[in-house]
Amino acid sequence: MRSAHRTGAMPHCRPQARHLHGIGLTAAVLMAVTLATLASADSSDGLFPTADQVGGQVFPTGIKQGDAFPTDFKIYDDTGQATDLAQVIKDKRTLVTFFISAAPVSISELKKIQDTAKAARDTQVIFVNADTVGVALIGGQSKAISETARTVRVIRQEEKLEHAMFVAPNDALSPTGLSNRLGLRGLPTSYLVDKNGKVERVFVGPQAWKQGDL
Amino acid sequence: MTFSRRQYLRNTLGLGAAAALGGRHAVPSAFAAVHDASKESQYKLFEKFKGNVVLIPGKYSGTVSALDLSVPETLAWYNYGLAGVDMPIPHHIAAAPSADPYKSFDFYQTMQPPGSPYVNENSPEWRTRGDFKMFKMRYDGSGTQNSIQVVSDISAETGMALGVHVSIGVGPNARRYVAFADGQKDMVLITTLDDTPKIVKAFRVDYDPVARQINISHVFPDSSTGKFDYQGRKGMKTSHEAMLGEELMPADPTAVFVDAFTWHPDMPLGAILIRRQGCCAIVNTETWEPVALLSTAKGAPDNFPLVKQSGYTWTFSVPSVLTPLHEAGFLTNGKYFLACNNVLQNNIAVYRSEDPDPKKWKKEAFVEGFGNKYLPLHMGNVPDSRWAFFTIWARKPNNGYICKVDPKTWQMVAKWDTGPDPHTCDCTVDGQYITTVYSGNQGGQSGLVVIHADSDEIVARLPSPAGQHDHVVVPESWEGMKASRSTSV
Repeated sequence: MRSAHRTGAMPHCRPQARHLHGIGLTAAVLMAVTLATLASADSSDGLFPTADQVGGQVFPTGIKQGDAFPTDFKIYDDTGQATDLAQVIKDKRTLVTFFISAAPVSISELKKIQDTAKAARDTQVIFVNADTVGVALIGGQSKAISETARTVRVIRQEEKLEHAMFVAPNDALSPTGLSNRLGLRGLPTSYLVDKNGKVERVFVGPQAWKQGDL
Repeated sequence: MTFSRRQYLRNTLGLGAAAALGGRHAVPSAFAAVHDASKESQYKLFEKFKGNVVLIPGKYSGTVSALDLSVPETLAWYNYGLAGVDMPIPHHIAAAPSADPYKSFDFYQTMQPPGSPYVNENSPEWRTRGDFKMFKMRYDGSGTQNSIQVVSDISAETGMALGVHVSIGVGPNARRYVAFADGQKDMVLITTLDDTPKIVKAFRVDYDPVARQINISHVFPDSSTGKFDYQGRKGMKTSHEAMLGEELMPADPTAVFVDAFTWHPDMPLGAILIRRQGCCAIVNTETWEPVALLSTAKGAPDNFPLVKQSGYTWTFSVPSVLTPLHEAGFLTNGKYFLACNNVLQNNIAVYRSEDPDPKKWKKEAFVEGFGNKYLPLHMGNVPDSRWAFFTIWARKPNNGYICKVDPKTWQMVAKWDTGPDPHTCDCTVDGQYITTVYSGNQGGQSGLVVIHADSDEIVARLPSPAGQHDHVVVPESWEGMKASRSTSV
C-alpha cells in the first residue's frame, strides 16, 4: 500500500514477492561481502546492528596486543579455494595484513611490507583482502569469491607481490562479521602474530616501516 | 498579499494559450516550447502544479531531465555522454532560482564514477570508466526548441572534481557561492556562481584513527596554475562512495565520508557533513574557519572540542563515535539544525541553531521511532517551516518511507511508503506539495511522487526510467532557495 497513513503503524511494505525478481542491486552488494556469513540474520532481513553489537561504537578497540588471534573465520586462497587460516599460520610467526582493494592506500602498503619483510626471514607474511568485490553486474552472488580472487591476482601482478594472498569475506553489519570481530575499520591493518597465535603488535594504517618492526 | 511573477505567469500562460488555441480540438504548434495541456483530460489533475519545473538526474541513464510538472512532460533532457564522460553517473543536483523557469534557469550537477556501490566497485575493468565532475548547466526555453547545455565544467576550471552533494548559498551567501562535496576524497569546494567560476575555499577532512582526532584543513590551489590537482580520481581515498551501513566497513584509515555542505539561511555559517564520525563541522563563511564540530549522536556531547589549530589545520578530539550520520541541515527559518543519525542509532538530532556561536548550540530533542531497519537519510523543507520531511531509507527487503515531522513537537505525524529505495524530498514553490523520488535500487521501479504537505494525500505519481538519486524543484526566488536544496540535502 502506498497511501499515507498516520504514525502508529509501520509503513506497509509491498508484498515481498515484488522484491524477489532477481537479486536487487543494493542487497547484492551488501550480500556480496557476506558470502561466508549468509546465515547471519542481520544481512538477510535488512536489520542494522546497534552499537552494543559491534563493539560499542563505530570505532571499537578490537583485537589488541596479547590477545589470541582468531583463526576461525573463512578465508579463500587466490584461486578461490577455501583455506584453513589456522593451518596457514600454525607454528609460524606471521604478519597478517588485511587490505581492501577499494582503498588505494591499502594496496600501496603491500609492496612496502614486502620490502620490509625481506629482512625478517623468520616471519611469514600473508595479505588478506577483507572484503569481496561487487558482482551485481557480473553474475551475482555466486561470483563473489571467484571475482575477488581474480581481483587479488590482478593486484599481485600489478604490485609484483610474492607473498600468499587470500580473500576473507566480511559482513560489516553483522556482529559476527570479520571487521566487527577484529575491530577493523581502517585498512591496511596488520597483526604480528607469534608462533603461539598471540598478537605481538598491531599496525593500523600505512606505516613508515623500518628494520626491526618485524 | 504578494503576487509573484511566477504566480502571474501561471495564470496568464494558461489563459493566453487557451485564447490562442480557440476551439476544443485546436492543435498546438508542434514546436511549442511549453505544451498547452488545458484541453487534455489529465489537465485538471496537474494544473495546480503550474510554475513547477523539476530537474531529475538519472543516475544510471546518464541524463538529466527538466520536467514540467503541470502538463506533465519533459521539457528538455541532456545526456552527459555528450560532455565526453564514459558511462556518466549524474548524482546530485541543485538549481538556482528563476522567476520564469519555462524560459531559463541555471543548475549544477555532480557526477561520480561507476565504481560505486550498486554496480561493481572494485573489479579491475571498472577502474577507468566514468569520472568525477561538476557541471554548471543552463536550461533554455526561450525559443521553439528547448535545450539543456553545459555552461562550464567546474572541475576543469578549478582542478578539483567532486561527485556528491552540491548546494547553493542562501541568506548572506545568496548570489555568491556554490558548494560541492565528496566522500571518496573527503573534500569540499566552494566557488563563485560565475559562468567561469572562481575558487573561494576548499577543505579536506581526515581522521586519525590512532589519536582519534579529526583534522579539518584548508587546501590551496597550485600558485603557478591557480588550480588544484584533484581532477579525475586524484585524491580519491576509496574507489566507491560508501553506501548506507558502509560506515562500519573497513576503509582508508583517514576516511570520514564527507557528504555535503549545507547553508544557514540567515547567518554566515555552513555545515560540513561528516558521515562516518557522526559529526558536522560548522564553518564561518566569512573567515571559512571551522568554529565547532557538532557530535550529533544521542548520548554524545553537543560538540567535540578543538584540540589545536596549526596553520590552516584545525584538530578536534573525537574520542568516541556512537553512530554515523548521513545528512544534516537547517530548518528554513534557521532556528533548528537537524542531523540524520543512522546505522547504529536511527534518530534525528535537533539542535537549536539561533546563536551566532555554534559552540553554544545544544541538542534539544530527538525524532525517534525508526527502529533498526529504517535509517533517517535526507531532509526536505517547506518555506514556512511548518513541517520538516525526511527520507527514511531501508535495505531490501524493506522499502523505506517518507515521513513528516512537526517542528513544534518533534514527533512524526505521517509517513508514506512511496516506493523502493526512496531518496530526496523537495517542495513545490508554493510550499503546498512535497516532491520525492524513489530509485528502485538503481534497476527496478522508479518514479516521482507528489504529496500534499497538509492533507497527506499522494496526489501524483510519475514514472521515470532514470533511477534518480536526487531531484530539485527550480526555486522562484533567492528567498525561495531557503526551502530548496541549500539549507538541507
